[in-house]
Amino acid sequence: MSLIDIAFYFFAILIIASAYIVVTSKNIMYSAFALLFTFFGVAGIYVLLNADFLAITQIVIYIGGILVLIIFGVMLTNRITGVDIKTGTMSKFQIWMTAILCVIAAIGLILIFTQTNWNTALSPTKASTIEDIGTLLLTDYLIGFEIASVLLLIAIIGAALIARRKTN
Amino acid sequence: MFTILGVGPLTWITFLPIVSMIILLLIPSGRDEKSKMVSHILFRWLTVLTTFLQLLLALAIYFNFDFGLTGINQQSTMQFVERVRWIEIQNLPLLGNLKIDYFVGIDGLSAPMVLLTAIVCFAASFASFGIEKGVKGYFAMYLLLDTGMMGVFVALDFFLFYVFWEVMLLPMYFLIGIWGGPRKEYAAIKFFLYTLLGSVFMLLVMIALYFAVGTFNMFDMMDPSKYDPSSILAGADTFWRYVAFAALFIGFAIKVPSVPFHTWLPDAHVEAPTPISVILAGVLLKMGTYGMLRISWPMFPDAVRYFQDYIAFVGMVSIVYGALCALGQHKVGKRDFKKLIAYSSVSHMGYVVLGMAAMNPEGMIGAIFQMFNHGIITSMLFMIVGVIYDRAHTRGLDDFGGLANKMPVYTGIMAIAFFGAIGLPGLSSFISEFLVFVGAFKTYPVLTIISGSGIILGAGYMLWTLQKVFFGKLPERWAGPWDPTGKKYKHDDLMPVEYAALVPLAIIIIYLGIYPIPITDLMNTSINHLIDFVKTTGSFAAHL
Amino acid sequence: MIDEIFLSQLKQSVDLFLPETILVATFIIALIFDLIYKNSRYLIAVISIIGLVFSGIFLVNQSTSSAAIFSGMLSFDPFGNFFKILILLTTIIIVLMSVFSKELYEGGRKTGEYYILIVGMTFGMFLLAVANNLIIVYLAIETMSISSYILAGYTKEIKRASEASLKYVIFGAVSSGMMIYGISLIYGLTGSLTFDAINSAMISSDISGLTLLIAGLMIIAGIGYKISAVPFHFWTPDVYEGAPITITAYLSVASKAAGFAVLIRFLKVSFFDSTNYANDEIWTLIGTIDWQIVIAILSVLTMTLGNLVALWQTNMKRLLAYSSIAHAGYILMGVVVMTDIGVTSVLIYFFVYMIMNLGAFLVVMIIANKTGNEDIQKYNGIGHKAPFVSACMVIFLISLTGLPPTAGFIGKWAVFTAVLKSEYIWLAVVGVLNSVVSLYYYVKIFRNMYIRNFEDDSEIYEFSPGTYILLIILAVPTLIFGIYFTPLLDWAESSVKIFLGV
Repeated sequence: MSLIDIAFYFFAILIIASAYIVVTSKNIMYSAFALLFTFFGVAGIYVLLNADFLAITQIVIYIGGILVLIIFGVMLTNRITGVDIKTGTMSKFQIWMTAILCVIAAIGLILIFTQTNWNTALSPTKASTIEDIGTLLLTDYLIGFEIASVLLLIAIIGAALIARRKTN
Repeated sequence: MFTILGVGPLTWITFLPIVSMIILLLIPSGRDEKSKMVSHILFRWLTVLTTFLQLLLALAIYFNFDFGLTGINQQSTMQFVERVRWIEIQNLPLLGNLKIDYFVGIDGLSAPMVLLTAIVCFAASFASFGIEKGVKGYFAMYLLLDTGMMGVFVALDFFLFYVFWEVMLLPMYFLIGIWGGPRKEYAAIKFFLYTLLGSVFMLLVMIALYFAVGTFNMFDMMDPSKYDPSSILAGADTFWRYVAFAALFIGFAIKVPSVPFHTWLPDAHVEAPTPISVILAGVLLKMGTYGMLRISWPMFPDAVRYFQDYIAFVGMVSIVYGALCALGQHKVGKRDFKKLIAYSSVSHMGYVVLGMAAMNPEGMIGAIFQMFNHGIITSMLFMIVGVIYDRAHTRGLDDFGGLANKMPVYTGIMAIAFFGAIGLPGLSSFISEFLVFVGAFKTYPVLTIISGSGIILGAGYMLWTLQKVFFGKLPERWAGPWDPTGKKYKHDDLMPVEYAALVPLAIIIIYLGIYPIPITDLMNTSINHLIDFVKTTGSFAAHL
Repeated sequence: MIDEIFLSQLKQSVDLFLPETILVATFIIALIFDLIYKNSRYLIAVISIIGLVFSGIFLVNQSTSSAAIFSGMLSFDPFGNFFKILILLTTIIIVLMSVFSKELYEGGRKTGEYYILIVGMTFGMFLLAVANNLIIVYLAIETMSISSYILAGYTKEIKRASEASLKYVIFGAVSSGMMIYGISLIYGLTGSLTFDAINSAMISSDISGLTLLIAGLMIIAGIGYKISAVPFHFWTPDVYEGAPITITAYLSVASKAAGFAVLIRFLKVSFFDSTNYANDEIWTLIGTIDWQIVIAILSVLTMTLGNLVALWQTNMKRLLAYSSIAHAGYILMGVVVMTDIGVTSVLIYFFVYMIMNLGAFLVVMIIANKTGNEDIQKYNGIGHKAPFVSACMVIFLISLTGLPPTAGFIGKWAVFTAVLKSEYIWLAVVGVLNSVVSLYYYVKIFRNMYIRNFEDDSEIYEFSPGTYILLIILAVPTLIFGIYFTPLLDWAESSVKIFLGV
């Protein structure tokens, strides 16, 4: 087992374990902090894949931006911290069905990943992908880039609309 | 062919009601009592005028009709043909050139039906005078229905036929649903669902036939040489041809209605207002048997041969079962006069199916003549029920007695219709039933003998009714005048409007009973040709 | 890297992209005007209409052009153009409808963003109709979805609206998650995201069947969510019931149209053997997976469930929601056929469906403006209180059932023709039986309108002339296209060609 493999499994376990806490924790604060580790683990995987730009973005945007916002939000609205955010209860039947489905899905995915003849690329030789990404975003993927900007504008309007206090 | 303003008579006769409907919708109904009354009178007489013009047109067509032309499967021998390209699209993917024609024309098969429709609609428009609520809507729907029915009988393009066939459903739904009796909602939706179920299968067969021949022209669909050999409906005696025939047959049999597809009919008849019952029995039921003869028989001769015995059996079952149910109305259920006549319709339409299955000139001519006679006689019967229902607000067979003393003229006219329904010699239906039996006996002796019991049962339930309702002692409750105020009914017997509706029909029954040639000659050439055509086309001949 | 060729291509792309550019410009102008004139009631609606109409003019002008633009990311072709025009017409009608909506303006609610978001959503749907790359598909779906999430909950003080919006977001997030997973699998299999490149990769190399099936199903699930095909329909009734009626109508037509456009394009460009395109009639699928059966099963499930559940509904919006699920099933029958005739029938059906469904929702809205809710019991006796509106409703409902002489019949006829042509007889039989079932619940509506409480002397509702004009705009074509449908067939037929990449 090479060092890279060990690093991969470390990050993978980190992601799954912290994601589990995010979902199961009763305290929203704990969930938010667990999410930090999930994002961090994902960034680690990106590094292992030589996706340096993505890794940096992941840390800067998701951890530095989104997560901090979430934590601020939670802390500033003191009413949420104490609230039990789990709603309803599931019957035994539902839990079992879900478990069975998950197992089937997992087996299916494992089969897929091991059996498929993937279209693999050679391991990258470049030191950095930033330049390529930049070029592509402004040439081939120009339209995608533009759509994303409109999409974000719409999302901002929507957010403002939802947050707006009832007037009149 | 004569034309009026450059348009052929069949287009006039079909679309005249629509024109009137538009005029009618433009007339405001009025808010206060007086203007309401004026507008109601206007609506009624506009409808009477329209149907009268239609009747005149039908008569004009009749007198200009060439009795020697065969029709059935050639455009050249159809009469009063009008053919205009309706839809044309070049090079549709895989459909090729889509062509749909506005294509109408009549032959000896459809001419009696056109005449019948005109007569019944005219008579029923008088019977509609009793409608008091939503008068404008009623007559608008009535006229739309009229167009739909007429269109079915004149259309020679399958697409056009289908459109007319479906157009009639909605007005019928409303006419039963809004102006009907207590269970109108149920009866109306039942009618709608049953007939739609039948017609969607017709739609599929129509599309399949279109793929086989590449047009919607009925004549092309009758010509085996026009079929694309790769089509699933090509050839003869194939599985899919049998399926297609069966689908079409069920679609039409629902309309006839033949047992076991008849259950909508008693409900619809019982709940429908009188004039709509008249139209249902007088015209709508005939569309089923007409469709069989116009479409199923010539297009699927091989399947007709294959299913012939079953069809005859269905006819027999309808005759006997319908008659038994009618007889049963005297003893079970609500003892409803109207339901009795509804079941007698099932029985009488069974004769038509039996005669058609016989596939010989006697049976076939008898069948179509029976369609005509049944249309006239049953219309009369329903109006007769309507007359007492309007006065007494009940139709129970046990609620009456001795009406002969109270309403002598009415009883006299009623007797003509009753004996007509029984098939008394000297009245029109005797001839048609006799012909059906002669024809059917040649092909299906056993079934015919069993069917003969229908006549006896028919005499039974009709005479029993006659005795219960019209003879014997008048119940106490009807001793006084129908309408003590004398406002609506000035005397106890028939009113002028009722005379107008009933007397012409009675005259037709007697006249055709003595001298049936005007109608039988009208269809003779075409029907003989139809039988020859069906027997020689496809593999029918090979089976014999 | 940026060279002359790229720049000239970009210029051509930008020229063709004009309708979409106008939409974005309208979006921004409307946003600015909304900031300046805060309290105007109809200004933003007017601006949106102007923008939409302009966009439409350019759209009609390029109806015959066929090109791959923006490096093959988008395929501008008559097929996409048809759907764009359809979406645009729907949008214009919805904006006009919204102006008359009482529910939307209730309590002096600000509606600027409402129209702005509709324009934004149109932009997303335009892109979806022409997207030729899975990344663009994803972005377009998100653009459309995010707008529609917000629009569904626009009347946020009403509990059921915010609930609808939340449900929509959650189901939407799950489905787009599935979709992007499928996209990543496809990328892993073929090394490409552009439809035609996926196609050539599949022809040239051996693709594992199971993985492709899973990936394909995941993408279809994502699209199926948009067209509310069973079993991805769970959100539909709740969202349709909770959202403002105008948005319900919009979702049921426009977002479905966009979904169908991308579904057909994806299936036809990616999964068909492109070496055989010359022959119209013989389409062969690449690989071992029979996508036709997959779609056929979806279709049968969708129409049967939609119709059967609709029978029990008592809320008009819910009823029409299930009816729209059923209609998606009929349209999927056309997709099953997959040949040109199948696509033609889908186009015809969609156009017809647009008119009649918008019409039915318009009537629901008009009546809800008067009675305050959409309960079917409230329709008792409407036939006399609002004769003209009810008569139009009957036309729309008859058309939805598919009876002649209405446009709905032509749609059904086209679809059944396509299905029978490819000899899927069992599917056609299921289809016609379903339309018989559907009659029952459509009739239920006009039964209540006309048969129940039919009193001659009940009060008469008055409506504004604008609503009458809108009704006429929708009811007349429903009848006209039922009687004379040549233009419709012609247009659909000329729009059937999908641009198959370079």
